[in-house]
Amino acid sequence: MATRTQSTRADHKWGMVIDLDRCTGCQACVIACQSENNIPLNDQAAFLDGRAIEWIRVERYWEGDYPDIKARFLPVLCQHCDNAPCESVCPVYATYHNNEGLNVQVYNRCVGTRFCGNNCPYHARLFNYWEPVWPEDFRNQLNPDVTVRTRGIMEKCTFCIQRIRRSTRGGKQVEDQAFNPACVQACPTDAMTFGDLNNPDSRVSHKWEDERAFRVLEALGTNPSVKYLKQVDAHA
Amino acid sequence: MSNSLIKIAVPVIGLVAALVLAFVAYFFVQAWWAQPPAVLGFGDGPTQPIAFPHTVHVTTAGLDCQFCHRTVSTEEAATVPAVAQCQFCHDFTRITGEQSSSPTAEAEIAKLIGDPLEGPEPINWVRVHRLPDHVQFVHAPHIQQGFSCSTCHGDIASMEVVEQVRNLKMRDCVDCHRDNSAPTDCTTCHY
Repeated sequence: MATRTQSTRADHKWGMVIDLDRCTGCQACVIACQSENNIPLNDQAAFLDGRAIEWIRVERYWEGDYPDIKARFLPVLCQHCDNAPCESVCPVYATYHNNEGLNVQVYNRCVGTRFCGNNCPYHARLFNYWEPVWPEDFRNQLNPDVTVRTRGIMEKCTFCIQRIRRSTRGGKQVEDQAFNPACVQACPTDAMTFGDLNNPDSRVSHKWEDERAFRVLEALGTNPSVKYLKQVDAHA
Repeated sequence: MSNSLIKIAVPVIGLVAALVLAFVAYFFVQAWWAQPPAVLGFGDGPTQPIAFPHTVHVTTAGLDCQFCHRTVSTEEAATVPAVAQCQFCHDFTRITGEQSSSPTAEAEIAKLIGDPLEGPEPINWVRVHRLPDHVQFVHAPHIQQGFSCSTCHGDIASMEVVEQVRNLKMRDCVDCHRDNSAPTDCTTCHY
């Protein structure tokens, strides 16, 4: 299928493969991400208003009619596009591509124009319309490695860059699977694989070449760093 | 509109506009040049709950920084030692007679003991060096690269009261990172 992204990046090119055949739509990744990345709690009103903040969400599609009905799940996170539509529209260079293949959001540069969110075809960017508030009991469980975003700031999945930093700090060499983002770590069916695409022996590199692999909205040419493995029906 | 009204209105509007512009300009110049920043402890050490003299511990007793700030070479934070660690050393030095016997020093050391039944209370040290929340500073790699604590914290060994000596603004960090060919990608510190 599609060849691996040609990259001139120095050492790492982080990528992810999500096997939809294994995804059960259990939302463990969503909860793990929520608590790892200091994402405020979303209530029903936030979802109804379309203001809920979820760096990863599980989209659900129904297929067929009862009793021959099927639920399809698609976990969507920031695709870390190599050709990102969000980056070119930021007037203050608050989002850019770094040398590890990450689409980066710099909170202290962001002025909240929301151009990037409007330009993202994956709806992966989320805007803080309000100051985030946690119940009193929750304040001591905030992750100290992640900045709490204030009102007026765009935020999105970072591939858990705090974990990447912790593992690679000082030019340390990392083994494949030595660390994983929160969502990957929490996945009970091992549907998600994260790793360095520059390392040809990594698990993610092998899955990257799988014949079931596809990218979401591939026709847009955004060249994402996230690939999905197609669900294959036994009785299709 | 009469001629006289324009004669009055034009200078008034001009004056107001000039004032507004001057105010805005002042605001920007002030924001840009205001040095040092209003940072707690900068140029003026806050009073601590215990008058802990680094001079005695570092210069007289000859302790290494890492003897107390133990996680500085492995973790994000240098950390302040637990009261139990203070007590352990002070129990020991009381027996060996190395401890200062001046009444002021005794009074400060006595604060470590706390309630004899409840045990020591954690000490509410006043934080001196504070970076903004969107900066993720990690001590470990800096120490591992061989920088001494005094590069950023100044000559703590001669400070009776600890104060901040460098402004620790982003320019300060980036200049040093450039000089030492350390990474200057935004996400080195901001994430």
